[in-house]
Amino acid sequence: MAAKATVRSLLGQEKHGAKRRVLLRRLFLYGVSLVLAFWLIGPVLWIVDASFQLDNELFSIPPHWIPHNPTLDNYIYVITRVPPPAYDFKPGEVRMGHKASGEALAAIPALKNSFIVSTATMALNVVISVLAAYAFSRLKFRGRGLAFNFVMFTRLIPPIAVAIPFFVIIDRLGLLDTYLALILVYLAFTLPFTIWFMTKYFDFMPPDLEDAALVDGCTRLQCLLKVVVPVVAPGIAATGAFAFMNAYSEFLFAVFLTKTMAAKTVPVVLTAAAINYDVSYALASTAVVLAIVPPILFALVFRNYITSSLSMAFGK
Amino acid sequence: MAVTSKKRVWLFSATAAGRRHIYAYLSILPALLVLILFTVYPVLYNLNLAFHKNVLTAPGQHPFVGMRNFTELAKNPGLLRSFQTTAEFTVVTVLFTIGLGILIALLLNEQFFGAKALQVIILIPWAIPVVMAGIIWRWMFAGNVGVVNGLLYSLGFIDKYYSFFGNPVTAKAALVIARVWKDVPLAAILLLATLQVIPPELYDAAKIDGCGAWAAFRFITFPFLRPTLTVLLILQTLIGLITFDLVYVMTGGGPADATTLVAWYTYTEIFTHLNLGRGAALAFIVALITLVLAVFYFMALRSEEMYA
Repeated sequence: MAAKATVRSLLGQEKHGAKRRVLLRRLFLYGVSLVLAFWLIGPVLWIVDASFQLDNELFSIPPHWIPHNPTLDNYIYVITRVPPPAYDFKPGEVRMGHKASGEALAAIPALKNSFIVSTATMALNVVISVLAAYAFSRLKFRGRGLAFNFVMFTRLIPPIAVAIPFFVIIDRLGLLDTYLALILVYLAFTLPFTIWFMTKYFDFMPPDLEDAALVDGCTRLQCLLKVVVPVVAPGIAATGAFAFMNAYSEFLFAVFLTKTMAAKTVPVVLTAAAINYDVSYALASTAVVLAIVPPILFALVFRNYITSSLSMAFGK
Repeated sequence: MAVTSKKRVWLFSATAAGRRHIYAYLSILPALLVLILFTVYPVLYNLNLAFHKNVLTAPGQHPFVGMRNFTELAKNPGLLRSFQTTAEFTVVTVLFTIGLGILIALLLNEQFFGAKALQVIILIPWAIPVVMAGIIWRWMFAGNVGVVNGLLYSLGFIDKYYSFFGNPVTAKAALVIARVWKDVPLAAILLLATLQVIPPELYDAAKIDGCGAWAAFRFITFPFLRPTLTVLLILQTLIGLITFDLVYVMTGGGPADATTLVAWYTYTEIFTHLNLGRGAALAFIVALITLVLAVFYFMALRSEEMYA
């Protein structure tokens, strides 16, 4: 074996073979990556593509991969809610491209609602979970294990299992169709994970820094705010991102705790558009694009925090 | 007696231990309040509801009916079918999510230009809310504007558009594809994070010992991945039990009841049949299954950690 290899390398075949193998391997990796990338973002690219076409073009068979008449009319209509000329009704003319679509046109107010609810959930979640996780990680107190296990246990309750009681509680509190109802519910569903995550994060931090601050006469809270929080900022960013994105995506409770545009969030409005067979696909695609841009940007901006924190929690 | 008074003392005293306890309880109080109001109370309320008759079309009459809501459910063939569908759906999505997750993580762990780009791209499906992923895939597979149809047509595989949601098999497949598309990124990211802590010397040593690629995977990579795989298995199984939004936007449970997963079945029981009692009983059963599965998995995970 070894002798053969030596002979081959003497003849210069070894180098040639290895090079070819490296090249083939490269080609294979690129090929697989290309297919994978296509599968991952193909659907998103198509919905973006569709948002620049009118319905008459969207219904052509086969579809126009590159729009023949690219237009910003859908965006103008969804954002300003004033129909641009393409959507003007011309009597006697039958053509696609001016279907009305109330649900899609509600995208902007719904986005506003979603942002208010998600931001509030994020802020409250960060404060509550950092406080609790710090106590769970650093302090010895009676009932700690019990309280922590209780928090983890609540994570296991499937949302649909508490749908009816949630409705009753929110109704009795007089909070149906309000932001506060959604914020409270989303807090309850995001806290178990964020508390677990932050506790684990604090466990990784060496306690030396705080010990020094405590010796200097800081109270626990001062020490948490002034010394610990700056150090765990990446973990807090990941926690906040998680809470925001969860609240932004939630659908089940949003759909039956809200009734009007006073509190309807993006998923509720867009779902109503999606299951409507008579919807304007052009306008609805535009609404979907507007709705998925914020969380995608959010994920890309916080990418490093999210992946490094996940690595920390899972990679050990 | 002495012990009790001592306990009282530390709670209200100005000693360090007392202050620590007060601080600790105040810290976890907000979290506990929210969770008690929105989990303990609802679960108890739900349980009470499950043992009473409560149909919204007959208000004001809520007699105690014992186990009747449960026995009625047990006799319902639709429910049994939905459990079967859920089991199928869960097994298939778990296999694909984890299988593809491993392959993608191995790919991203390679050193080449595309890996960096892919690590960014893969976050996109993860970031898109489930409902919106559902909407996108619903339109991808649609029989009128569907781009999957468009693609197959352009490539000459079909000569007229096919109704994917009209056929039980393709409707299920569409649901699985959307679920896997949405869930694979997280699996791949977690597995990649785990792959990156494997010391490369292990592979060098294996190579010297004459191990092939498969043996290296089987005896080095896989044991490192196992705890993460167990976590993913738990997450993905629970996702199978709670998948509701995708069904809502993509298939509405159809055609017939081909894609009626148990969460969707519960929803229709509550919101279309307005039978709160039976809905609550069903919700209780689903919660119980989740709990049993979770306990089972956690035990598996615990033993995993002992081996590690």
